[in-house]
Amino acid sequence: MDYFQRQHPLRRWRLLLSVALPALAVVYLAWHGVRGDRRVYSAGTLAPVHAVLTRQCAACHVTQAGFFSEQTADEKCMSCHDGAIHHAAQVFTPSCASCHTEHRGVISLAATSDAACTQCHGNLTTRGNATQFARQIDSFADDHPEFAALRSGHGDSGTIQLNHYRHMQPNLLGPKGPVQMACADCHRSPADANQPWPYSDAQTQPGNAPIVAAKPDPPASTPTRAYMATPTYVRTCAACHTLQFDKVLAERVPHDTPEVIHPFVVAKLQSYIAAHPAELRLPRDPNRDLPEKPIPADYRVLTPAQWVAERTAEDEQLLWRKTCKQCHSLIFNEGAPLPRIAPSNITAQYMPHANFDHSQHALVSCISCHAAATTSQQTADLLLPGIATCRACHRPGTETAESRCFECHAYHDPAQRKPVHSSFSLSDLVISAAPPVITK
Amino acid sequence: MRIDHTHKSWLVASLAILGAAALLYAVARPPASRGSMGGTAPGLAFGAIGFAFMIFAALLGARKKVPVWRIGRAQTWMRGHLWLGLLSLPLILFHSGFRYGHGLTALLMTLLIVVVASGVFGAALQHYLPRVITREVTMETIYEEMDHVRAQLREEAEQLVAGAAEETAVAAVGGSSGSTAAAAAVSEDDAAPLKNFFERQMAPFLANPRAHGLALADAARAHNAFSQLRMLVPPALHETIEDLENICEEQRQLSRQAQLHLWLHGWLLLHIPLSLALLLLGAVHAVMALRY
Repeated sequence: MDYFQRQHPLRRWRLLLSVALPALAVVYLAWHGVRGDRRVYSAGTLAPVHAVLTRQCAACHVTQAGFFSEQTADEKCMSCHDGAIHHAAQVFTPSCASCHTEHRGVISLAATSDAACTQCHGNLTTRGNATQFARQIDSFADDHPEFAALRSGHGDSGTIQLNHYRHMQPNLLGPKGPVQMACADCHRSPADANQPWPYSDAQTQPGNAPIVAAKPDPPASTPTRAYMATPTYVRTCAACHTLQFDKVLAERVPHDTPEVIHPFVVAKLQSYIAAHPAELRLPRDPNRDLPEKPIPADYRVLTPAQWVAERTAEDEQLLWRKTCKQCHSLIFNEGAPLPRIAPSNITAQYMPHANFDHSQHALVSCISCHAAATTSQQTADLLLPGIATCRACHRPGTETAESRCFECHAYHDPAQRKPVHSSFSLSDLVISAAPPVITK
Repeated sequence: MRIDHTHKSWLVASLAILGAAALLYAVARPPASRGSMGGTAPGLAFGAIGFAFMIFAALLGARKKVPVWRIGRAQTWMRGHLWLGLLSLPLILFHSGFRYGHGLTALLMTLLIVVVASGVFGAALQHYLPRVITREVTMETIYEEMDHVRAQLREEAEQLVAGAAEETAVAAVGGSSGSTAAAAAVSEDDAAPLKNFFERQMAPFLANPRAHGLALADAARAHNAFSQLRMLVPPALHETIEDLENICEEQRQLSRQAQLHLWLHGWLLLHIPLSLALLLLGAVHAVMALRY
C-alpha cells in the first residue's frame, strides 16, 4: 500500500510545468536582456514624438553601474529641446520629466498636469517677492482669477469710436441699400483677410499711416487663424464711411495723417479751379449774412490762390470736425496748422500671458461668447468674454473641453527657444528598419 | 467545490467591489489624449489591488500544502481564491484602461486572461463533475489507488476463472463423490467457454481498459456478452460469471472515474503553471513600471 508515496502522472506533470513555465518566463526576460532590448521593462509606449527613441533608453535615462536608472537628466532632454525657463523671477525650476511624463502611450507631452503648474502657482513665491500674477491658483475651474483685462476695470484702451450696437442693427444703410452686418464683415483672422470684404472701397487709398496697436501683434509662430486681424478702414469702413471732402469733387482723401491729407486736398482744389476759372466769381450767399453787419457785395471775385485757401479751409474743417472725428479722436494744438490723430490703440490680443485660438472655437457663434457686442455702444466697452464663459465648456469631466493649465498657458516661451545641436545620427534611430532600396 | 448559496456573501462582496471599481474607473478614466490609465493614481491602485488578489489566490496552493496552518478554513480560502481571483481580471483591465499593451504587458494580459478563463472553466467543472461522479461512479475509489485496485481486479478475475476450471477438473475426477450437485453437473469441457471468454475478451479489457474496440468497455455490449456466456456454461458457473461481470463493471467505473478525474483536475495543468509565470512576470512589471 505504497500508492500514496508514488506521484501520479497528473501531479508530476503539474509540478514539471509549474517549474518549466516560470523558468520559461525568466528565459523570456533574459533573452530580451541579452539582446539589449529593454522595452520589455518599459512602463508603456513612448509618445509619438519620441517613438523613434524606443530602443534608445540611453537617450533619456541615466546609466548607473551598467543599468539604466529611472532617472532622466535634463541635459539629455535639452540636447534636443533647449526651452527657455518660465520666468526670470521664478525661484524653482522643475525637472523636465516632472512635467513631461513619458511612457504613457500616445499623448501630447505638452499636455502637462495641473500639478506641474500649481506646485509653484498654488502658492507663488517669486524672486524679490513681487509679482503681478495671482499668488494662489490651484485650477482653472476653482480659483483662477478673472482675466486681467476684465479685472482691471479700465475698459478698452482703443480710441476708435465704434458703436457695435448701431452696427448690428437690421436695415442699416449700406453703400447699396439696407444691410445686416455680421461679425465677420469686420473681424477676420489674417489667414482669411484675403477674401473679399463686403464693406471695402476700391476707390479709397489705404494710406501709409501705421496702425498703432495697444499690444504688440502675436508672435509669428501663432496660427494665422488664432487671432483676429486688426480691422482697417479700407477693408471694413470705407464703403459706407466715405472720405469725400468736397461736394464738387468725387475723389476721396486717402485714409492717412493730416500731413498727407492737407497737400492732397490743396492739389485737388488747385486742379479743379484751374479747370473751372468761372467759379472764382462767388455769388453772395444770403444765408451767411450776419445781422447788424454791412451786407456784402453780390459777388466776390477771388484769385485762384485765395479760392483754394478758402476752399481748403472749409473742406478741412469738414474733415477734421466731422468726417474724421466720427471715428477718430483728434487733438488740436494751439498754433499747429493741422490736428493730430490720437493713436487708435486697437488691442489684437487681450490676454498676453495666455494663448487663444479663434479657429479652434469656430464651433460656436461669435455672439455666444461675445454677447455684449450686440449691446455695446461705447468704445471703452471691453467685449472680451469673461472666465465664466470659458468655464461653460472648459471644466473638469470626460465630456467637457480641456481645462488644464497648458490649454491656455505655455511654460516655455517659444520665442526664446535656442538652437540645439543633437548628437544622434539617422542610423542610431532606425535600428530595425530595412536598408533603403537604392534605385537608379 | 460546489458554487451554491453559501457563496452568496462572496458574490455580493465581489459585485460591490466590482461596482465601486467600475465607478472609480468611470470617474478617474483619463481621456485618450491624456495617456494610459496605468500610471495614474487610480490606475496604480487598480494594478496593486488586482495583483494583491492574484497573490492571495496563489497562496491557496501554499495553504493546501500546509493544511495544519490555522489561518482560516480551507473552504474560505477556496472561496476567496475563486472570487478574488476572478475580480483580478476586471481590476487589471481597469488598470490598463482596457488596453492590451505591448511586450511584457501584452504577455501579462494574455496570461491573466488564460489563467482566469481556465479558472472559471475549472470552477464550472468542479461544480458539476462531482455530482456526475457520484451518480455514475458508485464504486468510486481513491484516485491514487486506482492502479492498485485495477491490479487487484485482474488478480481476482484470474483467480475466479482458475477456480472454476479447478472445480470442474475436480468434479470430473471424483464425480462419484458428488460433494455438490452443481459440481457434479459440470465437466472440464463445460468451463472451456468461460476460459476462452476470459482469455479473448476479459483479460485484454482488464489489462488495458482504454484499448479501442473492446466490447466489455461498453456496459450494454458487456451485458450481451455475459448473457451469451451464461448460455454456453452450466448454471454451476453462473455465480462465477456474475462475479466476473461485476469486476468488469467496476473496471468500467474506474475508467469513467479516471476520465472524469482528468477533466476535474486536468485544467490545473494550465492554470497553476501559468499562474506562477503570471505572478513572476507581474512582479517584474510592477517593479519596473514603478521604478521607471
